[in-house]
Amino acid sequence: MSIVPKETIEVIAQSIGITNLSPEAALMLAPDVEYRVREIMQEAIKCMRHSKRTTLTASDVDGALNLRNLEPIYGFGSGGPIRFRKAIGHRDLFYTDDREVDFKDVIEAPLPKAPLDTEIVCHWLAIEGVQPAIPENAPLEVIRAPAENQIYQQKDGPLIDIRLPVKHVLSKELQLYFQKIAELTLSKSNPSLFKEALVSLASDSGLHPLVPYFTNFIADEVSRGLNDFLLLFNLMHVVRSLLQNPHIHIEPYLHQLMPSVVTCLVSRKLGNRFADNHWDLRDFTANLVALICKRFGNTYITLQSRLTKTLVNALLDPKKALTQHYGAIQGLAALGHNVVRLLVLSNLEPYLSLLEPELDAEKQKNQMKSYEAWRVYGAILRAAGLCIHDRLKIFPTLPSPSPSFPSKGKGKVISTEPNKRKLGVDSSENRSPHKRLIATDGSDGGPSPMQVDRPTGDANPPQNSVRPSSSEQASDGNAPESRNAKEKDDSKGRAITRKAILDQIWKDDLDSGRLLVKLHQLYGDRILPFIPSTEMSLFL
Amino acid sequence: MDPEQVDEFVMGYLKKKGFNSAAKHLQESLHNNNGSTFSSIDYHNDPELNKLIRSFSQSENDPSRYREGYSKLRSWGYNSLDLYKHELVRVMYPVFIHCYMDLVGKGHTQEARSFFNSFRKDHEMVHLRDLQKLGGVLAPSHLQEMEFARSLRQSKINIKICQYSYDLLLQYLHRTESTLMLGIINEHINFQVYSGQPNSASDDIEAVTIVGSFHETADHVNQKEIHWGLLEDSLEDRLEKTGGLLSDSEKGQGESKAGDMDDSKKRSAEIGKQGSSIKKLKKDKAGTATTKVARQETSTVLSSMPRVKPELAMPVMSADVEESILEDLRNRVQLSSIAMPSVSFYTFVNTHNGLNSSSISHDGSLVAGGFSDSSIKVWDMAKIGQAGSCALQDENNQTVGLNGRRNYTLLVGHSGPVYSATFSPPGDYVLSSSADTTIRLWSTKLNANLVCYKGHNHAVWDAQFSPFGHYFASCSHDRTARIWSMDRMQPLRMMAGHLSDVDCVQWHPNCNYIATGSSDKTVRLWDVQTGECVRIFIGHRSMVLSLAMSPDGRYMASGDEDGTIMMWDLSTARCITPLMGHNSCVWTLSYSGEGSLLASGSADCTVKLWDVSSSTKLTKAEEKNGNSNRLRSLRTFPTKSTPVHALRFSRRNLLFAAGAISKPSS
Repeated sequence: MSIVPKETIEVIAQSIGITNLSPEAALMLAPDVEYRVREIMQEAIKCMRHSKRTTLTASDVDGALNLRNLEPIYGFGSGGPIRFRKAIGHRDLFYTDDREVDFKDVIEAPLPKAPLDTEIVCHWLAIEGVQPAIPENAPLEVIRAPAENQIYQQKDGPLIDIRLPVKHVLSKELQLYFQKIAELTLSKSNPSLFKEALVSLASDSGLHPLVPYFTNFIADEVSRGLNDFLLLFNLMHVVRSLLQNPHIHIEPYLHQLMPSVVTCLVSRKLGNRFADNHWDLRDFTANLVALICKRFGNTYITLQSRLTKTLVNALLDPKKALTQHYGAIQGLAALGHNVVRLLVLSNLEPYLSLLEPELDAEKQKNQMKSYEAWRVYGAILRAAGLCIHDRLKIFPTLPSPSPSFPSKGKGKVISTEPNKRKLGVDSSENRSPHKRLIATDGSDGGPSPMQVDRPTGDANPPQNSVRPSSSEQASDGNAPESRNAKEKDDSKGRAITRKAILDQIWKDDLDSGRLLVKLHQLYGDRILPFIPSTEMSLFL
Repeated sequence: MDPEQVDEFVMGYLKKKGFNSAAKHLQESLHNNNGSTFSSIDYHNDPELNKLIRSFSQSENDPSRYREGYSKLRSWGYNSLDLYKHELVRVMYPVFIHCYMDLVGKGHTQEARSFFNSFRKDHEMVHLRDLQKLGGVLAPSHLQEMEFARSLRQSKINIKICQYSYDLLLQYLHRTESTLMLGIINEHINFQVYSGQPNSASDDIEAVTIVGSFHETADHVNQKEIHWGLLEDSLEDRLEKTGGLLSDSEKGQGESKAGDMDDSKKRSAEIGKQGSSIKKLKKDKAGTATTKVARQETSTVLSSMPRVKPELAMPVMSADVEESILEDLRNRVQLSSIAMPSVSFYTFVNTHNGLNSSSISHDGSLVAGGFSDSSIKVWDMAKIGQAGSCALQDENNQTVGLNGRRNYTLLVGHSGPVYSATFSPPGDYVLSSSADTTIRLWSTKLNANLVCYKGHNHAVWDAQFSPFGHYFASCSHDRTARIWSMDRMQPLRMMAGHLSDVDCVQWHPNCNYIATGSSDKTVRLWDVQTGECVRIFIGHRSMVLSLAMSPDGRYMASGDEDGTIMMWDLSTARCITPLMGHNSCVWTLSYSGEGSLLASGSADCTVKLWDVSSSTKLTKAEEKNGNSNRLRSLRTFPTKSTPVHALRFSRRNLLFAAGAISKPSS
């Protein structure tokens, strides 16, 4: 009948000294005891609510007893909720954990510290309806974006705006899709199918639930497969496809992706075979990094600064391998001219001096090393060249310093007549190679007609686009060397031409002028003696 | 059946029921007509009657009949037509609880318990809390003692039911001859039969709450007229005055304000005299009436609300306080569903589970906490903001602790847990209520106790200052709410009527009404002048914990233990819509200054913002096209692990929130 059995009543009766309680009386009392206990608990719950708590404590029961004018139960005033333990072997039997304490321990124990005093801490829970991401606030829910439109649709009904972390159940189809993609990425045997897969990754909607799995997969495989060049290349392709997919909200996972991507850019060794064209991979990854920065740089303000810091560190550490330097330079170059100007050009002089011994074929007997050094040299040269090219684009047509720029005009002032200027630059660029080459060739005394042909055809593309022209490099082993040489010619020639008209620029713009002079000093003077060796490396 | 036997049964029945005189009469007439053809009534041959009589005599005392009857009715109800099912199922609950109470009342404790346990699952979803209460009833005496049970026994429950469902039910009861169930239904249920299609299952919330005899009284009470308009000559009005003039001419601003100030001073002086203040006010009004019309043209939504006169003598407001309030109102940020407020959160740390209540002053600069160790602590956030620069300025010993400096003011005086501590509107007083049945008034300037108000017989759960200060309302475990003024030791009014503890109290913006929320799951509105209950709001399913009145005085929001917030229209006493979203106790509610947003704070560690402007604007349209227009949740701000105890929109519409951080239970 009642949940209080009559035996309990009998025990209680005995404990307070009533020995001759009749069983009938106990039977009658039992339901009443239960009722009274329930009554007390009802009042205790009220006390709990008014103490703005959701756990019932001993003090609430005391409060309830107090409300009924009863004596409180002594011995439970701990403040916190009482911890109950389950009696072993019984389903519904609990007892309070009341350990025996040795008196000696209590006496010998050091005095407890005074409890900390109550204080108030103030913070912004929200600013104009947006929760700032400060440590005082609960972390914002990550997986929220895809559900956004649904939220707006349902807005009418009562709903919870922020989803608590839920276990996502991946559908069978998605699991299968993920497996297939992973297989393709790992197998490398079927390039055409892999291409299809990339296209699907870049365009399919509904892949969002898989993003965490993909990021995990990429991170795992990159760390595991640093020796496997093809795998790395495949993985980077997957990253790019994921970035391209407009339906995927990849931003929250960037922090997981970035390390893998940067690894593929500046790792010491990518791939274990000689034939592995890891330069290609680095170029590709550099572009990827630039893409990420461009897309998420606005939302993650620290993204680019952190990235450049990593890269510059890699670049300036002389202990790092040349391959790492190459990756760092490519990464920085891909981030744009401003980055190059600020970070590479400022460090150019010491770096080149560092590179110099490696370049010297006489001193550096290891062919591989020398090759690597030249690659690095080419990369840094191109970065600088592109930077200066971009820089010079800002200027009006060089031969005619217009009166409209009397002050130390920078980009701002010049934006008044962009079209005209473009034209001017184009024409000057078109003209300058010829001039330049004639100048250099004159000094070298080489066969001029052939060389004139070359630059007019080739000198422009690397100037106009930042494309690392990986295809060009891959197609033919000699091409990179020739291109390096070309570029060197290029910038050297440009520098020389510039020198002729430098005075004019000086008058116009001191800052850029200084930069030019510096570049000229670095390249113009140092390149010239090396020209023969460049040609030598061409035959390697 | 043998006629003799029938007579015997009837005799037995009458005697058992104690109808002795009737039995005697029957016996006499039996004697008289012995052997004659008195059987003209023909009851001997009526099989229906036979069965009825047999069922009465046979097993009058058999407790298993209840179980049988109920389970039959139940299985019939659940297997009935879908369209009418919910109406029929609704009948089950009262039948169930009355079967149970009948069994208890007859002393079949064991059967009652097993009956209760086998069928309670059906009703737990809706009536969990009632069932928990009833579950403890095990003896006939408990039925008498427990108010809830008594009110259930004494009253009839109104159930709206459509004609067809009603017919179905009657048909069933007659066909199966379940007289017991029929008896219970007749005794305790009052059917309101309407013609047409049955209502959809969800739309009538009232159908699921059973509050004894409330409904009739509630319907009756809710007929009364109330004036929910704003107070005339409120500060908002004055702001519009100055504001209107401001837009008219920048130059004239200074003058007009000065004039305004003089005016109000004069007026307040008059109020101070009290005597015929209201009449004079009227005259005053008449004088300025023409200008007022012009002002109202430029005014906003609030001013279009009707104006009412205060029934209480309003306190004098000092000029500088008034000026600062006006300044605040002028600088108020307009909030809407697009323009969200900023929320500043005050987190109590190291409370050791002892913080019972907290409150924030109207400007957000002071924070008070009521603790279970009977103390009240008041923090001046402005000072804390300045950091330790004013380290030793306080000569007051109270503020200096052992380990350097305490940066709060400790107020000691109560002798029981402090359940509420609230600030007067200008922030110069703190009012606290405690389990020691007293209410205490403290001065924040002197850091001392000024008055101890004794009057309640039990723990005082809540006390709130009126919007203009001076008066305050309290509510208690003794089931009353009381109105006090600061200068009297005795309460001015006592509001009795709630069937259980009064848990929270809130003033109407025009000071003529207070609202109280109670453990009997209702909210009531009381007239301050007469002390009468003028509205009863039925619909909550658990104890009401928090109340808020919209600034225009037309709507009220109430939050309960389950996390439901209900928006009420004061004039009709109907729930506009329940706001679902919280999943634990709603401790606090607050309206933004112009009433477009409602903020709610809950034990589930979130602050939620609700758009309530759309409903208030579109009520007319809403009335036309039904209940389609729902209020919506705008934002949810989760805290790390801090249940939200208090919320306050400052006059400039900055939202302040407070709560004690709690260790997440592992």
